[in-house]
Formats: sequence, C-alpha cells, structure tokens
Amino acid sequence: MDELKQGTIHPLSFLAEEAYKVFTDMGFEIATGPELESEWYNFDVLNVSKDHPARDMQDTFIIKGEKEKVLRTHTTSVTGRAVEQANKDGRMPCAFISIGKVFRNEATDATHEMQFYQIDGAMVGENISVADMKGVLTHFYKKMLGEEIEIEFRPSFFPFTEPSIEVFAKFKGKWLEMGGSGMLHPNVLRNLRIDPKKFQGFAFGHGFDRIAMLKWGIPDIRLFYQGDLRLNQF
Amino acid sequence: MLYSYNWLKWYIPEALDPEKLADVLTYHLAEVENVEHRVFNNEEDLIFDIKILPNRAHDLLSHQGLARELASLLNIKFIDPTLKYKIPPSTNLGQAQLKIKIETDKCRRYMGRIVRNIKIGPSPDWVVKHLESIEQRSINNVVDAANLVMFDCGQPIHCFDLDKVSGNGLIIRMARKGEAMTTLDNKNLKLTPNDMVIADDKNVLGLAGIKGGKIAEVDANTKNIIIEVANFDPISVRKSARYHGLPTNASKRFENELTSETGAPTMREISGLLVEYGTGEFEEIVDEYSQKPETRTLSFSIEKISKILGLKVSEKEIEEILIRYHFKYNPYPTSPLHKGEETGGGYKITVPPMRLDLEIEEDMAEEIGRVLGYDKVKGTIPRVSFTPKVNQTYAKIVWARNKLLNEGYSEVMTSSFCMKGKMEVLASASDKNFLRINLLEGLKESLKLNKNNLPLLGLREIKIFEIGTVWVPDEAMHVAYNDGDKIIELNLDDFCKDTNLNFKLEPRAYGLAPAFRMWPLFPFIVRDIAVWVPGEVESEKVYKVIKENAGDMVVRGPELFDTFTKDSKTSYAFRIVFQSYKKTLTDAEINEIMQKISEKLKSFGWEVR
Repeated sequence: MDELKQGTIHPLSFLAEEAYKVFTDMGFEIATGPELESEWYNFDVLNVSKDHPARDMQDTFIIKGEKEKVLRTHTTSVTGRAVEQANKDGRMPCAFISIGKVFRNEATDATHEMQFYQIDGAMVGENISVADMKGVLTHFYKKMLGEEIEIEFRPSFFPFTEPSIEVFAKFKGKWLEMGGSGMLHPNVLRNLRIDPKKFQGFAFGHGFDRIAMLKWGIPDIRLFYQGDLRLNQF
Repeated sequence: MLYSYNWLKWYIPEALDPEKLADVLTYHLAEVENVEHRVFNNEEDLIFDIKILPNRAHDLLSHQGLARELASLLNIKFIDPTLKYKIPPSTNLGQAQLKIKIETDKCRRYMGRIVRNIKIGPSPDWVVKHLESIEQRSINNVVDAANLVMFDCGQPIHCFDLDKVSGNGLIIRMARKGEAMTTLDNKNLKLTPNDMVIADDKNVLGLAGIKGGKIAEVDANTKNIIIEVANFDPISVRKSARYHGLPTNASKRFENELTSETGAPTMREISGLLVEYGTGEFEEIVDEYSQKPETRTLSFSIEKISKILGLKVSEKEIEEILIRYHFKYNPYPTSPLHKGEETGGGYKITVPPMRLDLEIEEDMAEEIGRVLGYDKVKGTIPRVSFTPKVNQTYAKIVWARNKLLNEGYSEVMTSSFCMKGKMEVLASASDKNFLRINLLEGLKESLKLNKNNLPLLGLREIKIFEIGTVWVPDEAMHVAYNDGDKIIELNLDDFCKDTNLNFKLEPRAYGLAPAFRMWPLFPFIVRDIAVWVPGEVESEKVYKVIKENAGDMVVRGPELFDTFTKDSKTSYAFRIVFQSYKKTLTDAEINEIMQKISEKLKSFGWEVR
C-alpha cells in the first residue's frame, strides 16, 4: 500500500522561507517584482549613469525588440520600487526584503550561472544607519550559517551607495565575500522621489545560492537548476 | 593596479611592514588581491595588486597617490617628490615654437613642450627596475620616462617625434568621417566623428588619451620630441577605447576622470627626469588651459556624519582626519538650535583637486567611516514603526507550493532560457537564447532525468512541479506539474483561484541545519535479489546479511520491495543500487558482489530465487 508521501521541496525554496522569516521577524515586508525589468529601475534609479561601466551590455541580458528593458541583474530594482511606493503611500519608515531570480550573461561553471537568486533588502527611515545595517546583516547570517559567524565591513564602491561596503563573513575559518551594501546614495533617494534631507537608509544585495552552497556544502551552483530530484534532501 | 613596495617607500619611508600594510589597505581603503614576493637584480621587493575602484581611480592609480593616502591614513611622513624635480636650464631657443589648437571642448587642457637634441638610449637601472617591478617593459629612455611618470603620479603622458610632425603645431579635434590611424602596435583604426584625436595639418597622430599613432612614433633615431600632458573628457575617452577595443593604462586613467591640475607637476616631473638623463634642450611649455576647474568646497555637519554611520564621532576625531589629509577647513559654529548638545556644528573644507570623489556630505561620511574603521561601528537591530503587508504574489506561491507538496509532488527549478520562444536574448553566452514561453519543456526534461534515476530515488513514480516565470510573451507566473507523462500548466492566479489565502509564513524547520550529501556523478547499477526463507524468518535478518556483504558502494538499499508467503515459506525481494564516487562500475564487479551475497544467503539454508 502506497501511503501518500509528502513531496520534497527545492533547497532554495526551503532556505528562502527561512531567510524571509528572519527578516519578517525584524519587521521587513516581502517584495516581489518583474524579472524583465526597465532600465530605469535596474540602472538609472540606482545612480548608474548611461556611461557607467556597469551599463556595459556584456553582463546584462537584453531582449531583441525590447528597448529599455533588461533581464534584471539584481533584485535591488524590486526593493527600489517597493520603497518608492511606500513613500508615495505615506508608509515611511519602511523595510523591504526580496529574494528573486537575477540574470548575468557570463559563462557558467561551478560558481557561476546565468540565472541565480539574490537576496536584496532595504530599510529607509529618519535615523537608519550603518550600525543598523551591521546589526541586521549580522543577525541574518548568524541565522543562516550559525552563531559562530563573524561579520566584517570593508570599504568598497557602488554608484548607488555612499558609504559603500563589502560584507564579509567568517565561515569555517575563512573570510568570504557575501555581497555589496551601503547607505543609499542621496541621488537614489531623489530618483525614488524621497527627500534625502529627511530620510536615509541602507540597502544590500547578496548572492542567495551562495548561502545555500556554504550552508550545506553543495559544490556546484548549476545543480540547483538541473531539475534533478536528488537535490531535494530536506 | 600593481604597486612596488620599494617604490612606495621612496615616498613613505616609515611604511609599515607589508603584512600590516595589506591589512590596513583592506580595512581602510581597498581590496588587496595579491601580494607577491619578487627579486630584481638581487633586490627583494613586494608587489601589491590592489583593486582600486572607480571612486578613487582619480587619485590612487599611481605610487605617489597611494603613498600620499597611506601617509595620511597612517599619520606617517610623506616625502614630496615634486619639490625636488630638476628644472631644465634656460635655453636661448627664443619663444616657444609649438602651436597648440584645441578645437573641441572635450579637451580641457593641453600642455606641450618641445625638447630638442635628445639622445635615445637605454634607461638608467632604477627606471628599468621600477618599470619591471610592475610588469612594464622597458623600451627606451624617453618612452620609459613617460611610462614611469604615469605610474608615479597618475597623469598619462605621450611623446611625439617632432620631426615627423607636419607644420608647427598640434590640433586637438574630433576625427572626420573616413579618417584612419595606425597605432604604435600596428593596429589599423577606422576613426569616427566620436573619436577625439591629436593631429597635425596632414594626419592624425594619436587617439587622444588612448594610444599614439605610428606616424610620429618616437624611435631610436628620434632627435626632437614634443611632450604631451593633457586632460580629456572621460566619457569620450571611454567610448572610443571601447569602440576600438583599446583599453590602455592611459585610457583607464582618463575614463575615471583626472583633475587637470595634475598637468603642471607632471610636466615638471618628466622634464626633471630628462634633465637627469643629461639630455635635451627644453623650450618653454605651451599650456592651453581652457577649462580650469573651480575651487571646490564641501560642508558637512558632525551630526550628519554620526547619524549616517550610527557612530558618535567627536570633533577631535574629525579634525585629526582633516589635518592628516591636508583638507583646509573652517569649522562653522554650533547653531543656536544645537546649543548645549555635544555634537553641533560642522566644517567647511576645501577639497584638494585630486579628490574628485568628495562632493557631498555623504562622501565625507564614507571618508571618516573608512579612516576610523567600520569595526568601530557597533551593530544594532533597528525598530521601525512600519506595518508590513502580506505580499499577495508570494502568498500565492507558498500556497501553491504547499498544496502540491502535500499531494506528493516534489519541487524542481529549471532554466528560464531555452532554445525556442518568442523573446530572443541577444548575444547570449549560451545556445539557449530565448526566454521560455512555458514551464512544460523544462519540466519534461526533468521528468525524463528523474525517471532514469528512479532506482536511486527509491520512488515508484515521479511527481514533480515548478512554479516560475514565463514569457508568453508578457511576463507571467505559472505553475506546472505532471500527471504521468502529461504536463498540466496554468497561470499562478488561476491555480490559486477560489482559495482564501490565510498567509502565515512558517518555515519548515526554522533553525535546524539538515545535512546535504552530494551524489556520485557516475552511472549506477541496479540489482534485485529474492530469497525463500522459512516462514518465521524476519526480513530484517535477510536484510542484514545482504547489507553486510554488499560492500561499500551501495547508495540505496537493500530495500525490501516485495513480500509474499506461500505454504510455510516467505519470499523477500530486495533492490540494491550501486554507484561509485570515483568511477563507472562494471557489470563484472557487481556480479562478483551479488555472487558473494548469494553464497552467504545460501549458507543459511535459504533458497535464492
């Protein structure tokens, strides 16, 4: 007699639920948005000017016949839209979190895929600071990768943040780069129709597959998208 | 960029030992990608490969620039080389013969200097050593000087052979349609009106800010040269460099924007170097400085800095940084509103020309934050008065996922790209260059793969689903699952129709860390074995015998898949799946194992079927 067994969940969905819970417990709202995004929300809003190297079309997917649209290269476009809308609706301060598929046009290997997941968050208010960002990210990584995790902030540069910070985590004795973050540049806030004299906040965008790979020792990012049920071990 | 430790020490003799230096850089400035130990002519050196990002490419892509920064960061002595450049003796060559004509506003400054009667030859050892330490080739004394000065002070230089220049001057203009140029490396360029060029009255002599042309090349026979120290619009240089596929050290510096104020000290440096060589008669410098930058000031308040960082910064700390970095400053007083508070007021600084990254208050927050060190910022968990709403899309996804999981379907994720569709992806690095119009194709492939692996999975049938985005051609979220070999696919909204989404996010096993085991990448072999035993013998016993004799390449089983009783005997049928992490197993190897198992079972008096 075959009992109806529960199906198995994809590890990334499993981890996403955990990750979302960490952030919703801190008061963040879940945000979702389009994968085929406008250049405006993917680049221009984020202070990435048309002549900026980040605009180079090598890494970004463009679609034939769809001018001014790109496959989003990060989920910062989602949190950007959400923050803009929250301000419009008078819901400030605000905090959003989004885990979504992003796309990069590069050759695939064990650590690179053309599609992967990013976790992106933003918190904007009257007093939100770098200290808050450190607290939030430290708490998040401890929940994901264990209490022994240590977090470090190192100086970096992104057009959409100032100060810009590269987040490193010490995992199993090694310092690993987790992703970029920083205080939203006043130009970004202005582009989102938010007054930078009144509000300030942080944003971060980190690779999500990577967290799963570290957490569980999954050796190859391509395994997530092969449709192989041997992946579902949880 | 590569930096030689020995070269840096010319300017900061009290530099820290290299290991500490690497840490200081990483935590207060930029990522150190590599530190390599090298030996040149019996002298040891350490070469730092530092990733300078666009915001500091204005001033740090040079040894002097980095040394200056380190001197301020570490509060150590900086030996200013610009005070010691040898000045060329005055000549009686009369008025400068060189004519410079700037015909485009994309050139902000052009300094030209004719040097006559130079002797081309090898460079002094110290120049060769400096260049080789950062992987630059030595060519001849003049070309090396230009190269060296660029890596020393950050301003690119170009030299033309004066006698190969037609007429008596240089024109900086946009190229005309149809013009061409062969570069020093013999690359033929078809120029466009978007390219800024240096030309004489006949030919194009150089692609401005990027690469010189062959016509006026400095070679072993050159006797008279023109030294160019100029400043070009970053966007124009970047576009041209990309268009012609010519990323050079010069273009890299221009495209990140240089202040035109570096022109004068640079011209003095290269002139001084040639004087040291003992060669040349120097005409006066011709300086067409059409766009002199205005003095920039920046005001910031202590309160704002502290507020951004989430760290209380004191007047003392800030002033110490301003002094060390040579920012001329004036404090502005605490305003009446702030009287009595600890942090009121702020500063107005004069921004040094090279610090093009300092424009707004937030830039100072970064400057002060990084110098103090972000480790000083203590993490806090903020409480915001914000009431999150339920995200309807995510609620539907979770509901759909849970419904299917409960019905025994397992989740897969497949590629958003496929070989056919309506939306074509341009210049993709893979052959799957369309956006998928359905989940069906991907799911079919996954079904096939998993069906082949049924023995490994220990399942009787495959039930899978995916929830994901498709382009029909509008973007839509679909749910697809299989019913046998058929795929059923619907829009997420339709799938979730008529449900009351009582959404509560409860993750499956919050906090628990399940273990993951990677599977072997070699083919598997399945074997079944069935045995008759006397009625009272438990399947456990048979299982143990099989397991103990099956060896260590079993990935699944022995799994009991059939039992039946006849008369007083019971038949147990087990399935074993073999797979190796290291190689493809052969039938012969497995036959041997199965043989062993059979023998062992028979030794109990049981009948192997």
